[in-house]
Amino acid sequence: MNPIREHQLMMTRRQLFGRSALGVGTAAMAGLMGRSLFAEDSNTPEGLHQAAKAKRVIYLFMSGGPSHHDLWDYKPKMKEMSGQQLPDHVRNGQRVTGMTANQKNGLPVAPTKYKFTKQENNDQGVWVSELLPHTAKVAKELCVVHSTFTEAINHDPAITYIQTGSQIPGRPSLGAWLSYGLGTMNEDLPHYVVMHAKTSFPEQSLFNRLWGTGFLPSDHQGILLRSQGDPVLYLSNPAGVSRNDRRHQLDALAAINQAQYERFGDPEMLSRIQQHEMAYRMQSSVPALMDLTQESEETFALYGEDARQPGTFAACCLNARRLAERGVRNIQIFHRGWDAHGNLPREHESQCKDIDQGSAALIQDLKRRGMLEDTLVIWGGEFGRTAYCQGNLSADNYGRDHHPRCFTVWMAGGGIKPGITYGQTDDYGYNIVDADGNTLTPQPSKEKWTPGTMHIHDLNATILHLLGIDHTRLTYRYQGRDFRLTDVHGHVLHDLIA
Amino acid sequence: MPRCVFSLACTLLLMVSSLLLANPPQRVDFAREILPILSDKCFVCHGPDTQDDSELRLDSFESATSDRGGYQALNPDEPGESDILKRIFSEDDPMPPIDAEKALSADEKKLLRQWIFEGGEYAKHWSFVKPEKELPKTVTATDLSNVIDELIGAKLESAGIDFAPEADRATLARRAALTLTGLPPEPEQLASFMEDSSETAFEAYVDRLIASSRFGEHQARYWLDAVRYGDTHGLHLDNRRGIYPYRDWVVRAINDNLPIDEFIRWQLAGDLHQNPNLAQQLATGFVRMNPTTSEGGAIPAEFQAKNNFDRVETLGTVLLGMSFNCARCHTHKYDPITQKEYYQLFAFFNSTAESSMDGNSYEYGPIIRAPKDQAAWIVWDTLQQEIEELCAQVDISTLGDDIQQQWQDAKLAQRISMLASADATMATEESRERAQQLLAALKEVEANFTTSLVAKDLDRPRKTRLLKRGEYNLPAGDALQPDVPAVMGGLPEDAPRNRLGLAQWLTSREHPLVARVVANQLWQRIFSDGLVRTPEDFGLQGEQPTHPVLLDWLAVEFQDSGWNRKHMLREMVLSRTFRQDSSWRKDIDDPENRLFSRGPSYRLDAEVLRDIGLWASHLLDPHMGGEGIKPYQPGGMWLAMAHPASNTKKYERDQGQRLYRRSLYVYWKRTSPHPMMTLFDAPDRESSCVQRSRTNTSLQSLGLLNETQRIEMSRKLAERLIKERANDEERLDLLFSLLASRNPTPSERVACESLLETMRKRYQSQEKDATELVSVGDANRDPALSPADVAAWTQVAVIVLASDTAILLY
Repeated sequence: MNPIREHQLMMTRRQLFGRSALGVGTAAMAGLMGRSLFAEDSNTPEGLHQAAKAKRVIYLFMSGGPSHHDLWDYKPKMKEMSGQQLPDHVRNGQRVTGMTANQKNGLPVAPTKYKFTKQENNDQGVWVSELLPHTAKVAKELCVVHSTFTEAINHDPAITYIQTGSQIPGRPSLGAWLSYGLGTMNEDLPHYVVMHAKTSFPEQSLFNRLWGTGFLPSDHQGILLRSQGDPVLYLSNPAGVSRNDRRHQLDALAAINQAQYERFGDPEMLSRIQQHEMAYRMQSSVPALMDLTQESEETFALYGEDARQPGTFAACCLNARRLAERGVRNIQIFHRGWDAHGNLPREHESQCKDIDQGSAALIQDLKRRGMLEDTLVIWGGEFGRTAYCQGNLSADNYGRDHHPRCFTVWMAGGGIKPGITYGQTDDYGYNIVDADGNTLTPQPSKEKWTPGTMHIHDLNATILHLLGIDHTRLTYRYQGRDFRLTDVHGHVLHDLIA
Repeated sequence: MPRCVFSLACTLLLMVSSLLLANPPQRVDFAREILPILSDKCFVCHGPDTQDDSELRLDSFESATSDRGGYQALNPDEPGESDILKRIFSEDDPMPPIDAEKALSADEKKLLRQWIFEGGEYAKHWSFVKPEKELPKTVTATDLSNVIDELIGAKLESAGIDFAPEADRATLARRAALTLTGLPPEPEQLASFMEDSSETAFEAYVDRLIASSRFGEHQARYWLDAVRYGDTHGLHLDNRRGIYPYRDWVVRAINDNLPIDEFIRWQLAGDLHQNPNLAQQLATGFVRMNPTTSEGGAIPAEFQAKNNFDRVETLGTVLLGMSFNCARCHTHKYDPITQKEYYQLFAFFNSTAESSMDGNSYEYGPIIRAPKDQAAWIVWDTLQQEIEELCAQVDISTLGDDIQQQWQDAKLAQRISMLASADATMATEESRERAQQLLAALKEVEANFTTSLVAKDLDRPRKTRLLKRGEYNLPAGDALQPDVPAVMGGLPEDAPRNRLGLAQWLTSREHPLVARVVANQLWQRIFSDGLVRTPEDFGLQGEQPTHPVLLDWLAVEFQDSGWNRKHMLREMVLSRTFRQDSSWRKDIDDPENRLFSRGPSYRLDAEVLRDIGLWASHLLDPHMGGEGIKPYQPGGMWLAMAHPASNTKKYERDQGQRLYRRSLYVYWKRTSPHPMMTLFDAPDRESSCVQRSRTNTSLQSLGLLNETQRIEMSRKLAERLIKERANDEERLDLLFSLLASRNPTPSERVACESLLETMRKRYQSQEKDATELVSVGDANRDPALSPADVAAWTQVAVIVLASDTAILLY
């Protein structure tokens, strides 16, 4: 074993033991050291605590809260109730945001204006809106969960919650946890990549914390792959400096650092020499990644012409596939603009056009390359939208407020059961109900999970599980507490797992 | 983002050797050896948070020895009958249960057994017991730096080693300057130290550093991380927030060596002092530092609660070494903090006057008007003094009673107005004229004041009730009085039940934690790691101090010194412990330097890396204070994330001198801080950070070698080298002496000269590339110098600036 590798092992041991209780750390270390992080053969999808079904994850995050009413959760009975007040027993005292709590027209039921068609899947079929014609075609791959829920009712807390497990900033993100738990599978690209897709309605803010590390060491943060300027920050040499110049520079730098190492003996210094070399490799691997000229016409036909334009959602999806091929474990695309308080049809039509073909193409592309089986793809936002209208309601136009009690998330590949739906909501797409239509009032609880429901902690627990991590055992001690992504909650939804 | 520190091998070795092998006959120390085991392995079910009264609790002697129906968990009279022992050694029905998350090790079981056989006595967790100055008899010293050395030395001795040799003088000079001021020593400062052969040379050198105004700028950063200082609100729109006068106050307070107890009292409750002055009010920006929102649908009551959660937990992290985060939802599982106590602390903050939503407003009131940078502050301060002096000269004895009374009741600003008015009876011609001048000057200065967020209390306090599960809409029980956690001692008798009383409690000599926590923070910034390696956690789950006697002695000395920051830092730097060479030693396996058997070494913070380059290239603008500056930043970073209605969606970089101000002043947008800061582990300042991580990544390499400002500083440094020295050899000497406080070694010289030659040839033949490289950034380029020469030297400067000789403390 070479000294660098030895040093890396030592550093990893330090990280793991640094703040995790010994017992927990031992398990984590066994996983880390024996396998993923330092596996010479990085193609073995072994997990940290158990066999992994997925080797990597691509998370398509729809920031702002897509309307489940207009995309996925078909409620024909709402048509009859159009314009009438949402019955009190449905809302049942649930809190309403400051935006609609006092509106003059009350809470009038707003049925979707879009046509839904039942798509064949591997079970009873799934209703899909006409807004998602491409996604409808891959229905057989999707596991559509109608009963996702959260407690947060506004964007900032809700998105922070689903991404970090806490509504208040300061905790590591899902991606950072994965990076901490699983390490990297490649030597010349970052292990956690985040992209921001273009949108016509950049209405919500994103925050560094959504891919940040909280109290975890900051090298686990998501690296932005940008469509403007350098794809990775500071990737390009400055004007007047060639790759050959850089080689000369790095040789001099290594000599200086080596001398420093010989003087002081801190192994971290050796590891820094390696990092400079990795940066040098990235300077060629990232441009190669971003160079789409080798992609076939067929691929562009699949993803759509949008994919030729850097920064579009379709281009991000294509990049995601390229990253996945190159061993990047953890990829997240943020698409903003789903917060349709008013003019929902105009906004959602544009939003769906942005994301539909790319999402579907990604599934198909992964599938045809044999990668879908070990790539978990997730699509969803931070909450759903209300059954009642915000602002004026007409047949053609309406708005919807935030709705945390139920929303739709789909997953595909990576060990997920293909072509099923899971969970259901009442006739108003307001409450989660059981198979007999009885309202369920699930709470995030460590003891009790309500079958048929998926709290965001359950979603995260399931994601970790598919990647071979037991969400109760991936911990990090900070301020005396062994923190987890799922706080003290979360249940793996085995019903969704193939 | 704390660093991960702790290596398994070393820790186990230390634990085994210190706990078991070294002193087998010694009695078990409950607080240091047993309580951590109980806390970590048992309290999750048998601790303070036990729900069911009939459940066994192991967090006190009384409950552990209670009769459980014919048997006792802990039986001091017949230790062997203790159920604890039966269960922990039981194979059929062990405790902790087989499916528990944590198991007891064999050593832990042995310790528990020994403890029970020794009587099973309980004691308070160490950090809840007031620290005392109790030195072993062997210690002869009484002054701070020598006490440090004797205590550190004793532990080295027991490990069979001595201190490392002292670092060479120049290295020590560089280390001290970077540690205290965040910049390398000025060449003439270094030279005069090197030439000073007197015994007090190092002391004199350190005193100069501490007296420099750069000291306060550097030291302030640690506090700004801890209090999560930012220039934006943090949530949702993340709009601009006007609070930088607070940041400037922190710098000033540190440079003026405001005693830390005052420093704490002003920040928590400056507004509640009698006739608070401007500085005292500004300091309460601390209370207002929590991230805030005005998101459209947000519910005010929810954020009233969240804002205060944040304040309680930040106060805990920064001064008490525990966040109380667990107690927000339930009584703490490990530390003896009840949920009720959490909300009693919460109650201190729950009556502040600002609205729970920020209105996306820069002037999110209450605000105060204050000078907008340090220069303006000095002008204003001087004027105040002059006014005071003038007013002091006024003889009011000859005036009527009414006017005398009026004068006596008047504040300074009113007095000067009275004095300046044409019909003032108390003024002489001369003093009236002077008063008019001063008044005019004052008005002019105040017209340029800016605003800063401050704390004020409502006239009628808000009611605080316990929130079930931490949910804002689930208040339970009666209204709670503000109060402090009992385990840390009660409020002083005459303390008011408001933030002022809270501050008095924190800074009272009786407080077990605050002096320890702060002393540990000071130690950490000098020695790279704290005596308690979990600076954010002094609770039962935190690490024990590596040198408990020293920590306690330091804490009390800190109080005895009048909470004197400069004294503490000075003495630590003067210690032999600090002055050791920082090479890793072959004679001891101590990768994390838990014995402090070598001098500190680490990668310098983001801000320091930038400042060193600006300083070496003579670009550094010494201007102190003022609104956050915006150096170069890749385009579109804010826009890609910001809400369209946000007033921080566009990053408009500064021009001119502002580009080169110290990094302390870099504008801090909390949802997207400057990438060169976050790349090198600066926290986002959305939550408190008392220890930064120190990572080492390839992206840092890209930043060091390609970022615009780094290229700009490198080419200006290249110009300086060429202009100030006549030949390449001397230029290289200057480069290394600036960045490493020494000349290059032969191998470094070979590496640099070879790079220089290659680059010079290349740029001589390709002048266009040279011109491009030497035009990076706004700074003017010297047209008298050959572009090829400057370009070649730029390439060398970039490398040396990025090398471990420059970016590390050693």
